[in-house]
Amino acid sequence: MENALRKKARELLQNGEVKVVIGYGFNRRGTHVTPVFITKPEDVDRLVFNPRCVNNLSVYLTRKFKDIRAIGRPAIVAKGCDIKNIVVLIAEAQLKREDVYIIGMACNGMVYRQELWKGELKPEIMPTKCHNCDVRYPHLYDCVIGDKPAFVPPDKPVGMVFDKIKALDKMDSSGRWAFWVEEFSRCIKCYACRQVCSLCYCERCITEKNMPQWIETSAHPKGNLSWNLTRAMHLAGRCTFCGECERSCPVNIPLNLVNKKLIQVTEEAFDFRSGYDEKAHPPMIVFSPDDKENFIK
Amino acid sequence: MTDLFLKTEDLGRLIASVRDGGARFIAPSTDARQTAFKEVSGADEVVSDYILATNSYKEFLFPQTEVISTHKVMKDSVELKGVELEAQGTVIFGARPCEAASLAALGAVFTWDFVDEFYTKREADTVVIAVACTRGDDACFCTTVGLSPDATAGVDVMFKEADGGWAVARLTDKGSTFVEKHKDVFEKTACAPKPLFYPEKIKGVDVEKIKERLSNKGHYEDPVWPELARKCIGCGACTFTCPTCHCFDIIDEGTAYEGERRKNWDACQFDHFTLHASGHNPRDTQYKRWRNRFMCKFKFYPDKFSSKGCVGCGRCIRVCPVRLDITEVMEEMSKLP
Repeated sequence: MENALRKKARELLQNGEVKVVIGYGFNRRGTHVTPVFITKPEDVDRLVFNPRCVNNLSVYLTRKFKDIRAIGRPAIVAKGCDIKNIVVLIAEAQLKREDVYIIGMACNGMVYRQELWKGELKPEIMPTKCHNCDVRYPHLYDCVIGDKPAFVPPDKPVGMVFDKIKALDKMDSSGRWAFWVEEFSRCIKCYACRQVCSLCYCERCITEKNMPQWIETSAHPKGNLSWNLTRAMHLAGRCTFCGECERSCPVNIPLNLVNKKLIQVTEEAFDFRSGYDEKAHPPMIVFSPDDKENFIK
Repeated sequence: MTDLFLKTEDLGRLIASVRDGGARFIAPSTDARQTAFKEVSGADEVVSDYILATNSYKEFLFPQTEVISTHKVMKDSVELKGVELEAQGTVIFGARPCEAASLAALGAVFTWDFVDEFYTKREADTVVIAVACTRGDDACFCTTVGLSPDATAGVDVMFKEADGGWAVARLTDKGSTFVEKHKDVFEKTACAPKPLFYPEKIKGVDVEKIKERLSNKGHYEDPVWPELARKCIGCGACTFTCPTCHCFDIIDEGTAYEGERRKNWDACQFDHFTLHASGHNPRDTQYKRWRNRFMCKFKFYPDKFSSKGCVGCGRCIRVCPVRLDITEVMEEMSKLP
């Protein structure tokens, strides 16, 4: 699979179809997989693909990365879940389909965090998204590397995130409030959740708008709550549950619970799943006469 | 002097003794999510099987957010009130020797041209008890920056793990006073500490050479910088967990009529960190911001304060969402032009 990937990357760079291949490679000491940017055909052997390729590289396609855009047209090594984000970027006019060459990777699941990797991909070290994945074979691509995985997602979603959401739903509102205030109290406002998210592509985030200051930037309970709620609301109907924010959080705030709940709510209310159709606009930015909500009529 | 011993079961007595004296006892503690420094009330909350706490203990000397003054606008006057800090005595237990060395770096910057009493008052009343490392991981690199698992800089009392407890050494006057104050909990027996974990010195890295290379102005615009820092996503995880990073922002919060002025952690990795009111930003792309952080650690800091800007704790490597490894850049920068 890696050989096929490298062959494709070499070909794309050699024929000038792309200027850079955004993919995965090992760090110098070979202990971790990290994003790599291949610009020369002779460097394609650095590219790898294995269950530790957890990063969603689509963030590098956004306008936050001017330096990368300046290199020229990119090809991106993307798993199905990463492609969902590319789909949203196209739907939201952040990217034209032809602006990127998608090297879709057939995927058998990833580890939740690289540190959990002990040489074997076991279900207990995989994130909830992998247990329910319906895009192990990519759904939007220019080419696909790898064979179609035999995996079929379960009828009813399974995994820790769903179990925890059920437990939270059973709590009364004051219990849920206490749970989230406690979780958000650890927030250090490093904004790793925002920076790693390819759908948080605003060049100036609302937290940075200070005339007037809309969101209190201090890391006190009120500031933390307002940041985390704002982040959640801005991703409603857009988030694809790639899980990068939770993976990146240095203080382990369970953001996947927030994201999945949002997805459940928007799916129920608008019958919309983000990340599948690059021609469909997210429900929060469109008006539809068929909208089943009638309060506005 | 290492002639004292603290039995594992007596840690609770030490905590009680410290708390009875009105001080807070900060130690690594594990909850459902992580192992972090926090105030503890008993020995059962303290863990020993950790490499480093997720947070550095700097937040107990230099909080993420604190009020430095308050203001009130009245009909024909304005009331401004400064905050007079009364620091609470603090005992940091379980610091690792690497992060303890960062105290010198923080102290240097907070007393340089202006004495920041919010920091100095807290620091004066803080005792650092380091526990020498018997474990580590592949992100540890203290030996590469000239420290070791039992380095003594910034440490008041050094604990070394031994069978059934810790061998205790007083390293500073502050440490001696602390031990004297709580002498009932310690025993006067010498013991053999367990072997320490020495991270392998990273080959090809030389801090002096890095400084030399960074001093060469021609290297400021070296095309290697954009390449080394290309994957950086510009979050503040590295700076906020770093024990020596100390930048802060002053902001006003409140309504039009009353509010408070706060001192909040800030990070040079944020794109608006150097954004001027004119709209100009001298560090307008991410590699320039990353280069600044690296130069701050290995050039500006050592030049200005002759103290270490980087202590090799490896937190920035562990928390980085894209695994941007500072030691890889150190390796590259050790190659003299």
